[in-house]
Amino acid sequence: MTRQEKIRNFSIIAHIDHGKSTLADRILEKTQSIATRDMEEQILDNMDIERERGITIKARAVKLNYKAKDGETYEFNLIDTPGHVDFNYEVSRSLGACEGALLVVDATQGIEAQTLANTYLALDENLEIIPVINKIDLPSADIPGVRKEIEDVIGIPADDCPAVSAKTGLNIEDILEKIVSDIPAPCGDENAPLKALIFDSYYDSYRGVVIYVRVEHGKLRAGTTIRLMNTGATFDTVEVGYMSAFGLMPAKELSAGEVGYITASIKSVADTRVGDTVTDDKNPTADPFPGFHAAQPMVYAGIYPADGAKYPDLRDALEKLQLNDAALTFEPETSIALGFGFRCGFLGLLHMEIIAERLEREFNLDLVTTAPSVIYRLTLKNGEVIYIDNPANYPEPDQISVAEEPVVKASIIVPTEYVGGIMDLCRDRRGDYKDMKYLDNTRVELHYTLPLNEIIYDFFDALKSRSKGYASLDYELAGYLESKLVKLEVLLNGEVVDALSFIVHADKAYSRGRKIVEKLRDNIPRQLFEVPVQAAIGGRVIARETVRAMRKDVLAKCYGGDITRKKKLLEKQKEGKKRMRKLGSVEVPPETFMAVLKLDEE
Amino acid sequence: MASQNKNLGIYIHIPFCAQKCAYCDFYSVTDTQAMREYTLALTSHIRAKKALGKNRTVDSIYIGGGTPSLLPITHIEKILETVYDVFNVSDKAEISMEANPGTLDGGKLAAYRAMGINRLSIGLQSAHNDELSMLSRIHTREEFENSFMLARMEGFDNINVDIIYALPGQSKETLASTLDFVISMAPEHISFYGLKIEKNTPFGKDLEIQKIIPDEDAQYEMYMDSCKTLDEHGYIQYEISNFSKKEHACRHNIKYWTCEDYIGFGPAAYSFYGNSIYSYVKDIERYISCFDDEQAILESTETLTPSQVATQYVMLCFRLRAGINTAEYARRFGEDFDAKYSAKIERFLKEKYIIRTTGGYRLSRRGMMISNYILSEILDFE
Repeated sequence: MTRQEKIRNFSIIAHIDHGKSTLADRILEKTQSIATRDMEEQILDNMDIERERGITIKARAVKLNYKAKDGETYEFNLIDTPGHVDFNYEVSRSLGACEGALLVVDATQGIEAQTLANTYLALDENLEIIPVINKIDLPSADIPGVRKEIEDVIGIPADDCPAVSAKTGLNIEDILEKIVSDIPAPCGDENAPLKALIFDSYYDSYRGVVIYVRVEHGKLRAGTTIRLMNTGATFDTVEVGYMSAFGLMPAKELSAGEVGYITASIKSVADTRVGDTVTDDKNPTADPFPGFHAAQPMVYAGIYPADGAKYPDLRDALEKLQLNDAALTFEPETSIALGFGFRCGFLGLLHMEIIAERLEREFNLDLVTTAPSVIYRLTLKNGEVIYIDNPANYPEPDQISVAEEPVVKASIIVPTEYVGGIMDLCRDRRGDYKDMKYLDNTRVELHYTLPLNEIIYDFFDALKSRSKGYASLDYELAGYLESKLVKLEVLLNGEVVDALSFIVHADKAYSRGRKIVEKLRDNIPRQLFEVPVQAAIGGRVIARETVRAMRKDVLAKCYGGDITRKKKLLEKQKEGKKRMRKLGSVEVPPETFMAVLKLDEE
Repeated sequence: MASQNKNLGIYIHIPFCAQKCAYCDFYSVTDTQAMREYTLALTSHIRAKKALGKNRTVDSIYIGGGTPSLLPITHIEKILETVYDVFNVSDKAEISMEANPGTLDGGKLAAYRAMGINRLSIGLQSAHNDELSMLSRIHTREEFENSFMLARMEGFDNINVDIIYALPGQSKETLASTLDFVISMAPEHISFYGLKIEKNTPFGKDLEIQKIIPDEDAQYEMYMDSCKTLDEHGYIQYEISNFSKKEHACRHNIKYWTCEDYIGFGPAAYSFYGNSIYSYVKDIERYISCFDDEQAILESTETLTPSQVATQYVMLCFRLRAGINTAEYARRFGEDFDAKYSAKIERFLKEKYIIRTTGGYRLSRRGMMISNYILSEILDFE
């Protein structure tokens, strides 16, 4: 057997909760890459947030050795994929680095939209797919039903696919043998010019950027000057090696078919975009990997420090996160209401939540985030085309000739009994129904075109709540469509609050305006005077509520021990006041801004 | 010589209750077995602090709780005798005791009078039995009425009655009838407190109860209406929550609000002495076993800077109807009140939350109702 004939590169496709991480752990354990007792649960997901949310945000990879029943020892490269629609592009690149994929399906739940979408991505990359039925230890497992579903829905044979329990470790070896027998070995040309695919990279404060690559053709050693073909940047390779379960293991060279890492004193992940091709600067390949594009933000929001004095800290924190997250963009922005902050771009709402959470957790910042906005395309009367991601920059209505908003093609898989509710939801979110397909007797796949701004708030939550958690969603951007858009402004005590404005479809303006003034009424603390809260479009008020004047804020009893307590209380009240944002004469705590973002929670 | 002595107040905490009320977070226990030991510890502790009474005249003693009237008469007697013995107690001293209707009888009341107690504070809270049972009070309106009459018969001519408003589910009407009932009994003093939900109480954990508490606007109206009724019946408001007939303001409580010295005994008791504030642990067993080791029973101790005392003084004086007297302020703290505060209080003066008096400033009733807000705006605790 040649060296490459003993390599198997594969990833795992699974829906959230279907047991991908647990399965990865079992594979690590069975290949004895890691002793059971040393194993931290779910070693591939190593960011706190990922572990808590049970999703993978970044791709990871690990090299394992498996001694198969044929007596040979095989080199397995397991490449994990992000598990959320926000990171679709990364998923496709991770898959592009493999020859095969394990498709994990929960024996109690069947195929979900996300799994299906990723399976299609894998089929696009010509991967060999090995279905794996997981969770067969559960009493409600329906193995024959899931086998049939895999065959009916995806059209691949599943009669002899492994049925396992990642939790108990049952039948895991069946998977490993299947990987050996079914997934093709790579067949790169070691003597051709270097051609390697970047599927992930991260910033390490000692080594600089560590690039994870799959070598397609050629070889790479330390000292070689590499070129990243899309950015054109060149670097001198410092080190190459493999990702073992125990960390990075330097090696003499990486060659065709292998998965490994490169360090080259690179300062920012912005230079090492996922999907780019690494080649030898002196002997470049003639055909880089197709389909490269830098991940584009789809959702924008203002991020401000709750305490204005923390602005430099926020900038430092964003810069640090960006070292590791090329998809995150930010630029300074000022708001009359919120002071100095940043307009940030994200791949999607999950990406935004993750960044906000990391800023608060890892950098100890207290943040105010404005309502997320998509990018609107406006054609002005003078013919100029502009893109607007910040309601503050939205032109006056009489200047706009055509307004367009981004839409997505959405696929929703849902049990038949919830179809009605889900269709109502999609209609309510201005969805344009395309078609419906029965996957089997119990589940259907719905296709809709939906405006992106209708799904970035809470669509996913609404979907889950209307289907008892069973519906799943996948979507991809599908260009722009003309739309009736208006800018909704919020006025406190007669003054416009820029940070609370947003762009909305005209038909939704009234109900959203109504909700926002009600939310504000409930969330703005009483002031010394009455505060009118209004929602307006182009100066016309469409909804109004009043925050009544403060009338009672007193400690009834104040004897011995109460005195010390009262002092603490007043100090706390004073502290709280420092965090308040002064909007004209109205003082508003940062939480108010957060509360109005969750407009659709009932 | 005695006239040159500084005055001193004494607070004695009796941490026993027959049962805990649903809203109350004062420290008390329902196991009364330790009463004897407690009285022994308390009296020994009082003796040990004799030095604090040097060159002092005690002009007020306040026995609070808990439920002091739950303690056997002989124990109260022992405690008061100890105080009389250890400290120089003025024969004009105000000696108050809190009492719970349902724990009083003629014999007890006569004994209290005989041992020198001259002011009684009776916790009624509401004149509606359904409200009383919701509050987990142990008594009825009728028992209160009976206790009150007995106290009068035994010669108590200075009685306070406690009322709580903003009770869960309370209407303006039920409150007004409670107030009318109390006024009809003609006590010398009425304490009128707004219910505050405390975290570690049954009410604090009961979201259903919290939902039916009158809202801010209803509470404001309850307070304003009640103040007016009290005005009309000759009760003079002298503090946010306290009203009295002429000359019957509570001397002990005024010490709290004017930063005069007082020393407390018993678990959870606070003292303000010199410029120090200290308190004892909320743990009766520890108090009983360690009363002779001050360090072991102290829960907190803090010495204020003169400017912190001045700030505390402003915070507390603004509770009083009399408000701040700027000359008195200058005499005590050697600084000019106007120079320090006039810019900060200007907007409140303009809106009549603060009112100018002949000698200084006070809060209007509207101002009292939002005094936390005003004080947090104008005061600076370093």
